[in-house]
Amino acid sequence: MAFLELDALGKFYPQPGGAPPARIMERVSLTVPEGEFLAVLGPSGCGKSTLLQMVAGLTTPSEGEARINGRAVAGPPPEAVYLFQQYNRSLLPWRNCRDNVAFATEHRLGRKPARAAADEQLAQVGLAGFGDHYPWQLSGGMQQRVAIARALAAEPALLLMDEPFSAVDALTRIQLQSLILDIWARRKLTVMLVTHDVEEAIFLADRIAVLTPRPSTIGEVIEVGLPRPRDAIATREAPRFLELRHHLLNRLLARDAA
Amino acid sequence: MRLRTLLPGLFVVAMIIAFLEFAVDAGMIRRALLPPPSATAEVLWELLSTGEFLPPLLSTLKLVFAGFFLGSAIGIGLGTAMGVSPAMYRLFEPLVELIRPIPKSALVPPLMLFLGIDDAMKITSVTLVVTFPVLLNTLQGVRGVDRVMLDAARTHGWGLGHTLWHMILPAALPFILAGMRVSLGLAMVLAVLSEMLAGQGGLGFLILDMQRSFQLRQMYAWLVILAVLGLLLNSIFLLAERRALFWQRR
Repeated sequence: MAFLELDALGKFYPQPGGAPPARIMERVSLTVPEGEFLAVLGPSGCGKSTLLQMVAGLTTPSEGEARINGRAVAGPPPEAVYLFQQYNRSLLPWRNCRDNVAFATEHRLGRKPARAAADEQLAQVGLAGFGDHYPWQLSGGMQQRVAIARALAAEPALLLMDEPFSAVDALTRIQLQSLILDIWARRKLTVMLVTHDVEEAIFLADRIAVLTPRPSTIGEVIEVGLPRPRDAIATREAPRFLELRHHLLNRLLARDAA
Repeated sequence: MRLRTLLPGLFVVAMIIAFLEFAVDAGMIRRALLPPPSATAEVLWELLSTGEFLPPLLSTLKLVFAGFFLGSAIGIGLGTAMGVSPAMYRLFEPLVELIRPIPKSALVPPLMLFLGIDDAMKITSVTLVVTFPVLLNTLQGVRGVDRVMLDAARTHGWGLGHTLWHMILPAALPFILAGMRVSLGLAMVLAVLSEMLAGQGGLGFLILDMQRSFQLRQMYAWLVILAVLGLLLNSIFLLAERRALFWQRR
């Protein structure tokens, strides 16, 4: 059975003065099996984040619905956690890293057990010993690791990632991508990632859904077909990788399809 | 090091005091209006060394603290409710806008009609003046909480109560404390004023009483005590504020 279904999702905003509503997105339909790593690729401003927020129950769709395990999403579903692009705005600056990770479970388990588990989560993202540091004492990449540890502490079945690596430097991005792949494989998560970064989508995903410009809908869905485990260097040099990159860049830059 | 940065400013104060001493001595200022600072200092020392200063000081302090905490609690509570709930905002916004512009000192006479001249009236007037800056700042702080942060709470399944206590209030704390700092000064003003208008004791009452009985050295001595009290309260608050907002040094 499909784990995650997007059924003709659409979003539009009413305009003032009786003008027709601004259509951001329409008829987005996708089926994601359990354990898949799906990337949604699109140019800036095509409503990728809005799509992800509808799946996360943070925004209500104007039409259609998203279903997780057959249940329609209405409000944030317990199976899913949203990983924000803006780690510096989603972490609490008055809490140290341990308490920021405890954020994920403290309201269910209580503060103490949540804290006790937090150090282990930090170790899993390579931040062992940073429990007492505050987010503003860490680099951007390390802050995003804290945010990842927090998301994982909630033990989600579905991880929703909103351009999570776009605000860190290029080297850190590559390291974090490998970290996410590790965690995904180990925990058998289902991941939905939205990104405008073609290489990131190819490197990480099993399938890539390409969004068209506004009103966006899914233009095509591509099987990546690169072997796993993927390697930060070798995978990026594989002929299939380069072929996909060529095709996708052509599409996004709206040149003639190769 | 802190002392060294303070020194030039302290020097200016010392010079002014020395000048006043000289000016009174030389007959440039009438002794009847301003006794030489050394004479005031003598009275001040007497008040301090005999402990006579303590009861009036504590009496004023009681008004300031009681009103400050009551007003802050009301301001934070109502401001948070109005910031979180549009219904609460619509319900209370007109009332707040109506009472807010009234100089609260003007409310002391009508308050005396209802509450008499005891502490109840004085604490109420201090509470009133404290409430509004705290309320408005709380409202602004609560409304300004980052949407991404709030979404993080939602995606992790935080309930409203947990989000309020562990996210919205801490995030709004810099605004709340800034409002409270303004209110602390206003609390002193209203405490002293209501003591002057309905006095049986306290620093405000004494300052007015000494002026009326031409005991000017006493009047100035109490004034100095009041000034030092204000300075102390503000410094303690600033220190506590800096501690509470340690995470803002980014």
